[in-house]
Amino acid sequence: MFTRRSLLAGATALGGASLLPGLAHAKGSLIATTYPGSWEDAYRAIVAPMLKKQADIDLELAPLFAMDQIGKVKAARGAPPFDAFLLDPGPRIVAIEGGLFEKFDPKKLTNLPKIPEGFADEHGVCVSAQVVGIAYNPKKLPAPKGWTDLLKDPWVSRLGLTGFQTTFGTSSIIEIGKQFGGTLTNPEPALVELNKVLPKVAAVGLPAAMPGLFQQGQCDVMFTNTQTVATLKGKGVDIEFVKPESGAIAFYTTMHIAKGTAEAENAYKYFDLVIGKEVQTALTPAPYNFLPVNKDVPLTPDMPMKSLDEMAKYINHDWAQINPLRAGWIEKFNKEMAK
Amino acid sequence: MGRRRSFGDVSYGLLIGGLALLAVTIIVAPVVIVLMTSFTEGQALKFPPKGFSLGWYEQLFDPVKSRQIHKTAGNSLWIAAFSTLFGVVLATLAALGLGRSRSRLARVADSLFMSPLVLPGITFGLAALVYFSLLGFRPSIELMIAGHLIVTMPFILRTTTASLSQLDPALLDSSQSLGASWLYTLRRVTLPLIAPGIAAGAFLAFMASIDNVPVSLFLSNARTDTLPIRMWGMMESTLDVRVAAVSGVLIAAAFVLMLIMEWTVGLTRRMRD
Amino acid sequence: MKEGGKLSLFREWQLAVPLALAFAALFLAPLLLLVGVSFYNDEKITQPGFASWLKFYGDPFNYKVIGDTLLLGAKTVCTTVLIGYPLALVYLDLSARLQKVLLFVIVMPLLLSVVVRTFAWIVVLGREGVVNSVLMGLGVISEPLKLLQTELGLVISLTQIEMPLMLLPLISVMSRLDPNLRDASAALGASRWRTLFTVIVPLSMPGLIAGCLLVFASSTTAFISQTVIGGVRLIYLPLVIWQQSLVVYHWPLAAVASLSLVVSVLSVVAALSWAGRRSGGYVNG
Repeated sequence: MFTRRSLLAGATALGGASLLPGLAHAKGSLIATTYPGSWEDAYRAIVAPMLKKQADIDLELAPLFAMDQIGKVKAARGAPPFDAFLLDPGPRIVAIEGGLFEKFDPKKLTNLPKIPEGFADEHGVCVSAQVVGIAYNPKKLPAPKGWTDLLKDPWVSRLGLTGFQTTFGTSSIIEIGKQFGGTLTNPEPALVELNKVLPKVAAVGLPAAMPGLFQQGQCDVMFTNTQTVATLKGKGVDIEFVKPESGAIAFYTTMHIAKGTAEAENAYKYFDLVIGKEVQTALTPAPYNFLPVNKDVPLTPDMPMKSLDEMAKYINHDWAQINPLRAGWIEKFNKEMAK
Repeated sequence: MGRRRSFGDVSYGLLIGGLALLAVTIIVAPVVIVLMTSFTEGQALKFPPKGFSLGWYEQLFDPVKSRQIHKTAGNSLWIAAFSTLFGVVLATLAALGLGRSRSRLARVADSLFMSPLVLPGITFGLAALVYFSLLGFRPSIELMIAGHLIVTMPFILRTTTASLSQLDPALLDSSQSLGASWLYTLRRVTLPLIAPGIAAGAFLAFMASIDNVPVSLFLSNARTDTLPIRMWGMMESTLDVRVAAVSGVLIAAAFVLMLIMEWTVGLTRRMRD
Repeated sequence: MKEGGKLSLFREWQLAVPLALAFAALFLAPLLLLVGVSFYNDEKITQPGFASWLKFYGDPFNYKVIGDTLLLGAKTVCTTVLIGYPLALVYLDLSARLQKVLLFVIVMPLLLSVVVRTFAWIVVLGREGVVNSVLMGLGVISEPLKLLQTELGLVISLTQIEMPLMLLPLISVMSRLDPNLRDASAALGASRWRTLFTVIVPLSMPGLIAGCLLVFASSTTAFISQTVIGGVRLIYLPLVIWQQSLVVYHWPLAAVASLSLVVSVLSVVAALSWAGRRSGGYVNG
């Protein structure tokens, strides 16, 4: 039975419970976005505890893909729902055009001399690079050679597909399209070819769902980045990365401060920590395999490249051309893949 | 009845019994299976689970590794506690005000208050997001409480109204004819009698808030995320076995809470009636 | 009630005012605003007009989505009736003690988070899940069946997830039936099947319809189960609403989609409850 006293006692107990940190804001607090999956895992495990220890800042991570971050900030109309962005090149351009960033002052980063020149500018700072190619399960399938193999047996019937919502999805489908006569701005041939084999395709999922689908064996081959492969390997999943014959895709990943945030100072501390030697060293080995940007941190042998100088040898897409077309592609993909 | 069992009666027993058995299996089996998988030694959600270990529960209760889960669980409890508390106050007052009224307006008001139960949650969630954003509010725990209040309050209103309607009006009349004030009657007669009804409704509302996805999906941000949203995120991306361990804890909690509510206020009877 | 105690200005109905105010501010106002927003053309909500409605209803794809959503609800209702109704019949024949246990088993999943129940079905239906490992172990199949990301798998899961909503009203109505009716029917020589279809089913119609109504409304809007178990190739209205509002951020279009969801689901619900009232009247009259 509820009496006033028991209710009060209950409320006090709840309020006092250690289950409720963060409700009373810690001195330092920061909401930063991160990508769902391997980025989220790594940042929760490594970066958040370090930031708490070194700067007494509570880092809250909001797992959102780059496009979703842009949408969320635009919808919030000047009251940003988070303080710091993590973006790929395409959405970065969109955000700059939309004026969604605070002006960034690279000189506030103590680790600035440790990263290559040009890695920090008035918009933000580059924290890693990603390489996108094909991942497959070596116990179930032979290694695919290139993008066209994905649409052939035995791979196609074990293929996991995702659309244009993410950078890795967009870039991969563009590359598939190129093999069938498409171009950077016309992935249509890829959709035509995909449509032909669609009944055979093992799974079509939201981008965030792909690692889970692979882990459960719902699909055994997919396009993805090297960090996801490393994370899944770390969980005991049979998975290997393949550079397609026509080349793997590479791009830089950057962090930015959201316009209108009250936590800009904490964001600088966070970025500085992320490019610092300690975090970069922790994120480089398996199961994370994040390509380091800090000059003091060497790349590991199991990474797709020996140094960031090789980035130019990879396929780099011009996102200024892709951006205006992307919304239309997303819609088209969703409709064509619907049963 | 000494009737010979005809073919029809045997087929009735087999078919109806078989389907009922299937129904019980479908209801119970997934719950049992999740419990079993949560004790796996392996990294993946496979069945039958590999070995037996409490490892995933250890990880779940590890304050560093599972900090985010603890925080979202805290948010969920906090939001559920306050939305239920406000819901109890508002719904009990409204039930006392409208419960015995026969006027048309009272009926309309009652169906309005119950309408969040039929309205698709995702529609209200979107409406609340658009409304609060256009008013310039940033996502906060208070907005989450407000949103949850609307969708969980009907449970309290329903059970409270039901137990009010079972009160013998003669009881209240005699109290008042003996000179007791309205307030005194309320405190000493009405409230004690309807308290089990309120408690049952509060319990259902609390559980509905803990479970709510559509409203939280639209109103929460990284700071105010609730447990179901976090679990959905884990299910969608990394599919950590910890989801099974969280499920195990929630199953155990729901089981114990239900037993308690069954003993104290006869919960299932109230839900059935 | 008119005399209302000592305070002359006090009326009992005034106790409902706080809740009414909260509802006006937190429920009615947002919904009205949502209707208003749907009559804007652009994402920034600056140009009023009908473009969002025209765009949504000018696209045949969306008719298919609405149809599929309602169909999903109908299929789930059918499966829950098919196995839920027999369970309710069995419930009637049990001893009071067993009835209590069964009721507990039925209500229990209702208190379990939908996310947990959905997750359970991933474990059950997955490629390496329970169903596949049992069937392959028995040698019934040689290749794992694809159950996740199919409508079949989704309907099976929703059947369990929504089952309590069917059973509670059904059991509530059935246990109020006069047991003598069944005995009388049997004594008059009617077979059990005949008793079922001529006596029990008509009399339990109000409960059955109430159950169908709840299951239908809940399964058509079960966003988490639909996306996690159904995947993105099965597109239902809640997914469209989510994509338009939280991925594309076109609120006017999201508003149109969600109002369409309300109208289509509630009109089916209204039709069902109308039928329920009629059947109730028929039985009583």
